[in-house]
Parts: sequence; C-alpha cells; structure tokens
Amino acid sequence: MGMSIGQSGKTTVKAEPNVVPMIDVMLVLLIIFMITVPALAAGFQAVPPEGVNLKPHPEEDSDQVLGIDSEGRYYLNKQPIRNEDVGEALRRIYDARTVDKILFVKAHRDLQYQKVLDAIDIASKNGVRVVGAISDQRPGTESSVAEDRAAEAAQTGNP
Amino acid sequence: MGMAVGNEAGGLTNEPNVVPMIDILLVLLIIFMIIQPMMRKAIDLQLPDPTPQATPAVANPDQIVLEIGPNMALSINKEPVTKDRLASRMKEIYDPRPSKALFVKADGTNKYQDVIWAMDVARGAGVKVIGVPPKDAGT
Repeated sequence: MGMSIGQSGKTTVKAEPNVVPMIDVMLVLLIIFMITVPALAAGFQAVPPEGVNLKPHPEEDSDQVLGIDSEGRYYLNKQPIRNEDVGEALRRIYDARTVDKILFVKAHRDLQYQKVLDAIDIASKNGVRVVGAISDQRPGTESSVAEDRAAEAAQTGNP
Repeated sequence: MGMAVGNEAGGLTNEPNVVPMIDILLVLLIIFMIIQPMMRKAIDLQLPDPTPQATPAVANPDQIVLEIGPNMALSINKEPVTKDRLASRMKEIYDPRPSKALFVKADGTNKYQDVIWAMDVARGAGVKVIGVPPKDAGT
C-alpha cells in the first residue's frame, strides 16, 4: 500500500504512478454496477415516449405506476400482472384513497395507442381520475409552459 | 498522495491512510448525485366520468376536440389540419380562450408516441387540461 520507497534504505523514489487508489475506485464501481444492473433489468422495461412540454411530478412512495411493455403486457409497480386482474388491483388501491387519484402509466413508445386506451378505460372504471402518461424530456429541451418550469425549479432547488 | 514517509529521520508515521477511502466516498457521492434528480415527468390526462348515464358531453358546443384519425390525420373540431400547422393553429385557438381544456380523441391504430406528440404540442400551445373521451362514445 502507498508509495514504494526505493530499495533497502536508499532514498531513491520510483517514478511509477500510484495505481492503488484507482484500482480501489474501479473495484467499487464494478461492485455497484454488479448490484444495480440486474435490479434495473429485471422485470418491467419500457421506453416511454419523448415530449417537450411535460409536467414534473416528484416521485412519492404512494405513486402507482402501471407499466405496459413493448409486448403489451401489464405491470403494476414493476410486478407482472395478468390483464384481467388489473382492474381489481386498481380498485383495491383507489377505493381506499380519498385524494390524489392519479395513476401513472408508463407505456412503451412504439405501442399502438389502443393498448394505452384499454389501460385508460380499465383505470377510469376502477376509481382513477387522472392518468399521468410518463414521458421522457427530449434531451436538451425545456418545457415552454412557465408553470412546469417553476415546479421543476422548486423541486430541484429544495429537495 | 500515497503514504506519508515520516520526517527526515526515516521513521514511519502510523496514521491511517485515508486517501483511498476519500476517493471511494467521492465516487459514491457522484453516483448518488446522478441518481438523485431523476424526476418523473408526465402528461396528465383527465379520465371520463365512469357513470355512463351522464349527459353526452358532445352537446357542449364550446369544447375543442382534437381528433387523430388513422395515419395521424389531425383535425380540430372536424377541421383538418396538417402536422406542422398544428402548433400554430392550437395557439390561434387557445390564446384568446379563457378555458384551456382540450379533448384528444385518437384512433387506436396510431403509435403511442405520435399521440403523446400531439398532446405535447397542445400543452405547448397553452392547453392546461387534456381530457380523454369515453371509450365507446358515439361519434
């Protein structure tokens, strides 16, 4: 560990770079990615559509996210769920709520809109009042709606 | 950098070497700084009232309906509009209007991305509330 100090007692200093801290950092990165990659890849994956004028929503634990992947399969909070069971599961969640009946829908961008309409239909019949269609901010753009920008600044400014 | 090599006397100090630890902590800090500001962004859609016996909403002559037919054939209140004219037409309509509501009635064969694009343009033109009409509403 540390810089190596010449040979036996002589005061010559080796000019080799000290790679030990770099190796430490690399190993930590390796471990972190080994842990996170399977967790990210497991289960539900979808690429949401891109938009510019999007409304920011701070992530909260009580948020419910209905995912629809590129094959049209449903996932409720990243857990696979059968199409027939979605309605009942949503009803159980939203009957207990009195406010904030919003359901986030994260659907794959290349899906037919019909798939999303079906999900919206199920949601509206089971107590959901608002659907948030999750979208990605197109890189390098900013919402042209002043309220959205203000909301985003408020959320990133004081977390 | 590296271990401190004592005084001129050549004796080794026995302080712990904290430099690699600081390196690792900085890397962790950077990673969490990148992960942290992931914010959910969405376009909010108001859902139809689940009670179907409500008076047909189509009776209201004041509302604006953006129809997206098959192959992205756009029309605002039955008046056809091209894709590149949509933004300016929306602005024309919504700038003088106090009510910033829009119904988006899109054909199921369109791509989700394209429908979101249209809603996105509408929001950019000042629409505050986007509604989805009931599934089986007669045209």
